[in-house]
Amino acid sequence: MTLQQRLDLLARAHPRLFPRAELLRLVHSQLGHVDALDTWIRRDGISVRARTPRLIYHVCAGNLAVSAFTSLAHGLLLGARNVVKLPSEREDSTARREILAFIRSLPVPLRKLVETHSTLDEALFREADVIVAFGSDATLAQLRTRTRPDQKFIAHGHAVSLLWIAEPDRLTSRQARACATDVLTYDQLGCLSPQAIYVPPGTAIAMLGDKLARALESHWKQIRLKPARPLSVAARITEVRDVAHALGHRVWLPSGRHLGWTIIHDPNPFFTPSPLHGVIYLRQVSLARLPHALASVAERVSTVGIAGRLSLPWEKAFLSLGVSRFCAAGRMQFPPLTWHHDGRPTLADLVTWIDRESSP
Amino acid sequence: MPAPRNFAQPAARRAWTRELLGLDLRDETKWDALTRELFAWQFAHVPAYRRLCAAHGITPQRFPSWRDLPAVPQQLFKREKLFSHKSLRPSVTYETSGTTTGEPGRQYLLDTSVYRILSVEGAQRAGFFQGAPRLHFLVPSPADAPHSSLSAMFGFWQKAAKQPASFWMHQNRFELSAFRRTLLEQIKTHRPIAICGTAFSFVHLLDAWAELPPLRLPRGSRALETGGFKGRSREISKPELYAQLGRLFSLPDRDIWNEYGMSELSSQAYARGTRGLHEVPPWARVLVCDPATGREVCLGQRGLVRWIDLANIDSVLALQTLDLAERTPRGFRLIGRLSRTEPRGCSLGIEDMITAETRESAPPLQIA
Repeated sequence: MTLQQRLDLLARAHPRLFPRAELLRLVHSQLGHVDALDTWIRRDGISVRARTPRLIYHVCAGNLAVSAFTSLAHGLLLGARNVVKLPSEREDSTARREILAFIRSLPVPLRKLVETHSTLDEALFREADVIVAFGSDATLAQLRTRTRPDQKFIAHGHAVSLLWIAEPDRLTSRQARACATDVLTYDQLGCLSPQAIYVPPGTAIAMLGDKLARALESHWKQIRLKPARPLSVAARITEVRDVAHALGHRVWLPSGRHLGWTIIHDPNPFFTPSPLHGVIYLRQVSLARLPHALASVAERVSTVGIAGRLSLPWEKAFLSLGVSRFCAAGRMQFPPLTWHHDGRPTLADLVTWIDRESSP
Repeated sequence: MPAPRNFAQPAARRAWTRELLGLDLRDETKWDALTRELFAWQFAHVPAYRRLCAAHGITPQRFPSWRDLPAVPQQLFKREKLFSHKSLRPSVTYETSGTTTGEPGRQYLLDTSVYRILSVEGAQRAGFFQGAPRLHFLVPSPADAPHSSLSAMFGFWQKAAKQPASFWMHQNRFELSAFRRTLLEQIKTHRPIAICGTAFSFVHLLDAWAELPPLRLPRGSRALETGGFKGRSREISKPELYAQLGRLFSLPDRDIWNEYGMSELSSQAYARGTRGLHEVPPWARVLVCDPATGREVCLGQRGLVRWIDLANIDSVLALQTLDLAERTPRGFRLIGRLSRTEPRGCSLGIEDMITAETRESAPPLQIA
């Protein structure tokens, strides 16, 4: 089966997640040609052909299934044998079940290329040509110690994302809704989920908070399958709310105090992680203090979602922190398939190349 | 409602302590009156608590029941000074381990009089001192660990004990050889012995004495473990710890106790044996609550432990923990601490930012 055929199968099975045109763009941009795996193609005066890794070992994170879908899609496009180490079952995560459902939904020729394991299979891990791993820095460091020197190890470790509202006092309802989409999609569990909204000094915080609160509540009401709030999650949300109240921070809660979303205005501009599950911090920061305020997460900022226009000085300041993606508010969780995850070409990273130079 | 007494005055503190000591478990009216009085004092004098209560719509005037008291999350002790005598200096500061999030929480006491009397009386009423055992503590002495509320409590026990009592950890060094020699001597007297320590200190003891013959402690002896492992030893399950302690000291499961307390509180709960229920003294109550509703769970259900501690006069009387428990008709069954770690995968969390620092800050124990 050719790459083109696998691409068609995948696009037909999951047209929303993997639109055909986007898959083609991905293949073209990263492999140069849709036939790059199946025939020789001319490039830079020579013939080249991409070689598929025989075995890709995917270590999936327990927070979010969508990163596993994408990683697996890459392996399937290439026609590799894909071994998936599933995350463990937990009351506060549906990732494992969603990954299994995704695999079950694949067309048979693609599904045949996938096998799942609940524990790390040492032999297969050692045998793999490429390991793609998602998780905490500690998990990744531990996995790295088990790799062979010639194995490709693609690690997607800790990252955080932020929203930047350029002109908060002129935030439109549409922009507020876009911010709410970013915060509440996937229950804020991925590294593309904003953990804080940064705004410039002098912002009318009360007005902005009210606007965002309305947008969050409206978005929450529209979520058909609301994320669960088991005891452990409820405990974290109520704890952070009560601490904020006691510290005298302004807190916006839904009417009825449901646990869907929370906004906390923390006057301290320094980044601290949110407990997620709809808890977003609102922080004011000046351009001069931005690098200092985000120093603890420098080189770990994945995506900055922008509501409004990002001026050049602010862009420079974010770039100095190692930001690898800017996008419009509302699109943070929906990067194109061509997205350079952690700044890397996701598909191109997996293959190796064979060169055939013409005879002299 | 009458104005609360001034809890800073020694006479008022003495009178309060007397009232708590005289409190009857069934006297709801008295409990309610004391709770309202202490709440009114702390509402007036602890700004952070006042703000939290205001957010929940609770004031001394609008206070339906003690069950409605807003409880301060333990986490707040890391962020704010919760001290109900603003113009006075605390004489003692107890610190939490800071294992979970790096930063220790701090409990400030104006003086230790209430804590001293009630921590001794609490253990006494639980029956821990029955038979006047010789006490051994596997923690640093109060002089070595002035910010440890556990060391302080054991120090109070030492002073109140009718028999000799000793600390066996000095400058982060376990004096296990001397401890074993002393135990062997005391065993010959056939008088009961009580060995008290943290779970991780017992694990070190078990490891150090793994090759030595078990000891046959006299009848009526007991062990008391408290606290977790705090990343300072290998972790073993509670049943396994109790089984190993039972084998080492020839103790039945029922004679291995758990003390459940914390730096942020002045009262403790006690349980006996692996499946024992925790009970609190009459001056404290525990609610097992659903964090989503803030209400007590039904009997047999699980929730988070919320303390109402009338001995905690210098900070706040209501504390919300992340300790998981099952509500039972009498007492509660402690299950463990709710993990702060969740499946964040690639999403950075606070634990990930402090893990390295915390591990470094906990020095390994030395064994002599």
